[in-house]
Order: sequence, then structure tokens, then C-alpha cells
Amino acid sequence: MNELVDVFRLFGFQFFQNALLGGTIVALACAWVGLFLILRKEAMIGDGIAHTAFGGIALGLFLGINPILTALLVSILAVLGISYMRKRGLAQSDSAIAVMLAVGFSTGLIIISLAGGFNVELFSFLFGSILTIDQTDLIIVSILGISTILILGIFYKELLSMTFDEEDARLMGIPVRLLSLTFNLLVAITIVLSIKVIGVILVVALLVLPGLSALQLNRSFKGTTLAAIGFGTVSMTTGILLSAVYNVATSGVIVFTAAGIFLFTAIYRKLE
Amino acid sequence: MQEKIPVLEVSDLHVARSNSVVIEDANFTIHQGDYVGIVGPNGGGKTTLLLAILNILPKTRGTIRLFGQDIESFSRWEKVAYVPQHAVNFDPHFPLAVRELVSLGRVNRGNLGRPLKRKDWESVDEALEFMGISDIANRRIGQLSGGQKQRVFVAKALVRKPEIILLDEPIVGVDAGTQEKFYKKLSDLNVAKGITIMLVTHDLTAVFCRMSKVMCMNRWVNTAEITEDLKPNEVLRKAYGEHFHFVFHEHECKRVFEDE
Repeated sequence: MNELVDVFRLFGFQFFQNALLGGTIVALACAWVGLFLILRKEAMIGDGIAHTAFGGIALGLFLGINPILTALLVSILAVLGISYMRKRGLAQSDSAIAVMLAVGFSTGLIIISLAGGFNVELFSFLFGSILTIDQTDLIIVSILGISTILILGIFYKELLSMTFDEEDARLMGIPVRLLSLTFNLLVAITIVLSIKVIGVILVVALLVLPGLSALQLNRSFKGTTLAAIGFGTVSMTTGILLSAVYNVATSGVIVFTAAGIFLFTAIYRKLE
Repeated sequence: MQEKIPVLEVSDLHVARSNSVVIEDANFTIHQGDYVGIVGPNGGGKTTLLLAILNILPKTRGTIRLFGQDIESFSRWEKVAYVPQHAVNFDPHFPLAVRELVSLGRVNRGNLGRPLKRKDWESVDEALEFMGISDIANRRIGQLSGGQKQRVFVAKALVRKPEIILLDEPIVGVDAGTQEKFYKKLSDLNVAKGITIMLVTHDLTAVFCRMSKVMCMNRWVNTAEITEDLKPNEVLRKAYGEHFHFVFHEHECKRVFEDE
């Protein structure tokens, strides 16, 4: 009963409202982008870019610039680098991701050692700290997150067409290369936004688990998309609420909830 | 006699893949309303020809004209539909309902970034009905049988309201009865809607019983009108080799039409 009173009291705090709003926008964008990533068989690009972004965060902290902005810049460069390596035949998709991951993360380590060590702020980017999101971060998350969701909504049918059959989409005059690049930039933006919420290490869970759970339900594409968004949002809000009440790591509870949903949907599929 | 309108004109066509010549000196014209069976041994260049017509594979020499326009500058691709060989080999876990898949046929450069309109969905439902698959419109594509998959992909091609459809071995791995129904649907399309059809197949009976033209390929292309005077063995032996003898049973053709 006391916990319930605590929850209601939490809604009155600005920090909690910021966390719920920011978290919901991020969960929505992650679930939608993540579903396309799973279907394009590129889920690991999420993990690769998140680790590369770590270099950008370290750079931002070192230079005294908002780390989200430097992480965004580095992630976009990583996406372009991966696309370039694939296009030029320098490396296969997974190898290109591995190269970028290693370069980005090691850059971060060098910057940290130059700065004189590991500090608390950097730690919060590794494991997320949605409950400490400030107004500036919320504005950045809202603008970029809502822009991502809008672009996905506008090019939804073209992205679906390319994901299902790229050659056919090209034949129909859909600008496949331009849209692929746009989608990869959206992936970079979504990942950087998620780092503040869930941290570099666990970003991939927020991208993959809601989509994977939705796929267990065997629905149409529309149904699967809505289910993924629903699962992502429920995992996020449940995680924020429980972590605030019981004072445990938010990112851990979010991933745990998402993994629980996946388990239930997998059982549902087996029983169906 | 009404003059036939050329839809596809190919002259002096040469195509190479991985530095080896696949098509050599191909010359032919396909007219509006033709129903063409493309036959020949494996590796004879059948799929390559379709890909060259679609400007997916570059040609090394010659010209291809679609609806009177060189394919290099051709822009009205909505008039052309293609059902590739691999179309039915999709990921069975892909979360897509039949109606959603068919609606992808309406997605093109013309409506980029805009949602499909009511008339697009009406075309989808019309194509589903024409192919006799309205009852499975909401079924997931991974749950379809081989025959249903083919009809769904033809519906997807049809929903573009094309004037020519190119199909690459669409009936591989299905039973004879399903194949027959599929050919019947294609004949209906050809006759009722006047759509020009070019079909790559190994089913020689279907070609000689159903279609108006046969195109034999083995690097070169030999096209012949299918008439009562045509001697299939003469046409086919050039492609498959002199030691082959093709036996056609007249009753097979009769059965095809009696079933209808």
C-alpha cells in the first residue's frame, strides 16, 4: 500500500514526469526502428553503433560539450563508415560493425585516460540514468525522437517494401539507397537518444526485445508494429516506476521487464 | 486486319554475366496481347533476358525498347510487373498479411511518402478477387500453400495495373492440378484484361497448349508463333539438342480446355 502511495507521489515530481515523457518517446522510436532492424537482419548494428557512440560521449565530456550531441555526430559517422565499407566491398556487414565498434570504443578509452580517469557522469552513460534527465536533454530527446517517429511514419510503406524485397522496391522506382541511408541515420539518432535512458551496454535490448516479442504473436505487419510499440512502452514505464519505488537500476528493470514480456509471448506462441 | 502494337522490341541484344556471354544477338518483337512461353535448357539465358528487359542487368550491346521507348530512358515502369523466381522463397516468419503484401504492389515513386488511398485499396481487393484469394486476405503469408503463394504474387503484380507481366518460373514445386489452375488464371488475364504475358517455364505442354508464342533460348533466341502448323520438335531441338525427342499428347491440350 505504501508503495502505491509512493508511486502517486512520484507523478508530482518534475524529474519523474521528465523521465516518463523522455522514456516513452525513446521506447516508441526504439521499438519501431528495432522491428525494421530485426526484419532486415541487422539487429547487431544497434549494439555496434551504441558502443561506437561511447567514443562520442567521452569526447563530449572531455571538451565540455553536451555528450548527446557529440555521440550523435560520432554515431552518424559510424553509420556512414559502415555503409561505405559495405558498398566498397571492404567488409561484410557484421565485420564492418565490429570494426566501427572497436574503433569507437577504443577512442573513448583513450580520451578517458587523457582526461585522467573514469568519472560518475561517464558511468551514467554506460548504464543509463533516465531519472536524472534534465530539461535540455528532454528537449533534445523530444525533438529528435519525435522527428524519427514522424519520418518512420511518412516512409513506412516504402521501408516495408524495401525490407521485404529490395530488388522489387528498386524496380518500382523507390529510392532504395537514399531511404536506406535515411533509415541508418534514424538508427543512429535512436541509439544515441536511448543511451541516456538505458546506457551503451543495454541499448540493443531496447531495440530488439519489443520487436522480437511482437513477432511471437504471428500478426500482420500493422499488428506486429503496434504490439512492438506497446511492449516497448510498457517495458519502459514499468521499469521507470519500479526502479523509482524500489531504488534499483532503471536500465536493469526496463530490460528485465522487456525480457519477461518476451518470455510470455514465446510461451504463448508455443501454446497457440 | 488490325495491326499489332509492339510492346517490346529487342534487337542485336548481347548480355554478359561474369565475363561470359549469356545472350548473343537476340532479335524479337512482342506485341500487345501476346502470351509468350520462354523455354530452354538451364543456363540458356532465360532469367538474364528478363533482367535485361527490366534494366536490372546491363546489356553489352543492342537495344531494348519498351512501349516504343529505349529502356535506358524508360520511366513508366508501373506498366511493367515482374514476378521473380525467388518471390515465393520469402522468410516465412515475415509478419505480413496477404492483403498487406498485395498492397506493396501499389507502392512506387509516384506516391513516395504518402499513405495509400482508398482507390489503391480498392485495386488491392479487386486483384485479390480476380485471383480468387479474397478469403485468405488476412492470412499471414507464412501460412500459405505453394499454389496460394503464386496467386498472391501475381495479385501483387496485377495491382499495379500493368500492361505487361514477366514471370520467372512461377510454378516450381506445386502439383499438376494447382499448376493447371494457375495457367487458367494467366489465360484469363491475357484474354480478359489484354495483358501481355512473358513466362519462363519448363512446362512445354502448357506453352504449346496455352500460349500464343514460344521463345526458345540457348544463348540465342528463336521466336515462333504457335499455330497448328508449328512443329514443336523442330523448334525445341535447336535449343535442347538433336538427341532430344519431345512427345506431345493431343489429349493433354484437349483436357486443359475441357476442364475449363
